[in-house]
Amino acid sequence: MAVTLPAVVEELLSEMAAAVRDGARISDEHLSSLKFVFGSSAIQALDLVDRESVTLISSPSGRRVYQVVGSSGKTYTCLASCHYCSCPAFAFSVLRKSDSLLCKHLLAIYLSQVMRSCQQLSVSDKQLTDLLLMEKTQEA
Amino acid sequence: MAEALRRVLDAGSAARPEGDGASGPPLLLLGAPRSAQTSLLFAAALEAAGEGRGPVLFLTRRPLQSLPLNTPAAREPWRLQKIRFQYPSSVPELLQLLASAHEAPGPAPSLLLLDGLEDYLAEDSGTQEAAYLAALLLDTVAYFSHHHGASGSCGLVVALETQKEADSDVPHLTLLQRYFPAQCWLQPDALGLGQQYCLRASLASGPLSPRMEWSVTFLPSGEMKITPWPTQASKPCSDRKGSSARSQSLTLACDNLSGPQCPLDRTLTSGTGAESKT
Repeated sequence: MAVTLPAVVEELLSEMAAAVRDGARISDEHLSSLKFVFGSSAIQALDLVDRESVTLISSPSGRRVYQVVGSSGKTYTCLASCHYCSCPAFAFSVLRKSDSLLCKHLLAIYLSQVMRSCQQLSVSDKQLTDLLLMEKTQEA
Repeated sequence: MAEALRRVLDAGSAARPEGDGASGPPLLLLGAPRSAQTSLLFAAALEAAGEGRGPVLFLTRRPLQSLPLNTPAAREPWRLQKIRFQYPSSVPELLQLLASAHEAPGPAPSLLLLDGLEDYLAEDSGTQEAAYLAALLLDTVAYFSHHHGASGSCGLVVALETQKEADSDVPHLTLLQRYFPAQCWLQPDALGLGQQYCLRASLASGPLSPRMEWSVTFLPSGEMKITPWPTQASKPCSDRKGSSARSQSLTLACDNLSGPQCPLDRTLTSGTGAESKT
């Protein structure tokens, strides 16, 4: 995602990615930093990553979108280029109240990138259009 | 900011930077009136069309009745041919167009312009809907940029007509600012004389960037004259008409800087010509 996160989060994620690259485990220190910044969303997002809930969907055009299966089994669509998730928590806590940086689904996307546990799926260009538009019908 | 718009505004000043394919952050054009916003977007379209980096996509709900500008560039057919006008008549149509942009044949645009965002936001104004539209605009532009690869990126300028600067009545303004870090405010200028229509354009490419200001004059002939906002006009002088409007605008410019002790003239020198490429 080519979006700017606060520097402290960027640094934390890149340190975690470096640890994974070196074949090390993610340290308790990193996990508690994650908890400090994101609160209860951190645990929930890690849980989503553990359950391989994050899928990066791409089409031959090169356009991409993420889907995350939430804890309730509901699928949320997240844009790959900027912060947007179709879940209600994103609309309420992130957009309206601005008291969260990310919802757990967007955080799970970042964490799955760090831990290289993101599922991949290829679809047709037309199917990708429908996926991008589906958020609209989900809300209705 | 979308570089094309800044280059339009910079055309009046001596130091004119060369385009390097960078398009800058997504820009929200705010203020009034709508006709001036359309003219500026069209000028940005002509500017980008002249760069030879792919077509320009101009989206608006209301089809243009005539060319919004009568400048030399607007009379060059090869530029006009590179501007693709599309008129999505509803929010679903606009979303469909954006979401299926990767299915459209042909080269990826180098600039995406949306005129009259208020026409679309008025229709359904939920927080999530507005965010979805803004995010999908960014996603579409990111896809176009991905297509350009190393040869540059695709810029995005969205115009939203509002009545007052920083007015809390502007629906979803805070939300839109989240997606559009660069903003350009247009304010009618009290000193506009006779047939001329005068505006002050004030651009900040990010929440912490200094403002750059220009005076934009629309002549009865349909031409547009842009000059850097005169520095003496920004001094807190009381001998000219409209000084209250000016000092208000100055306060806002200062708010963008790090500290209240920041000297005013530094604001202005760094604001008029200096580049703040990020």
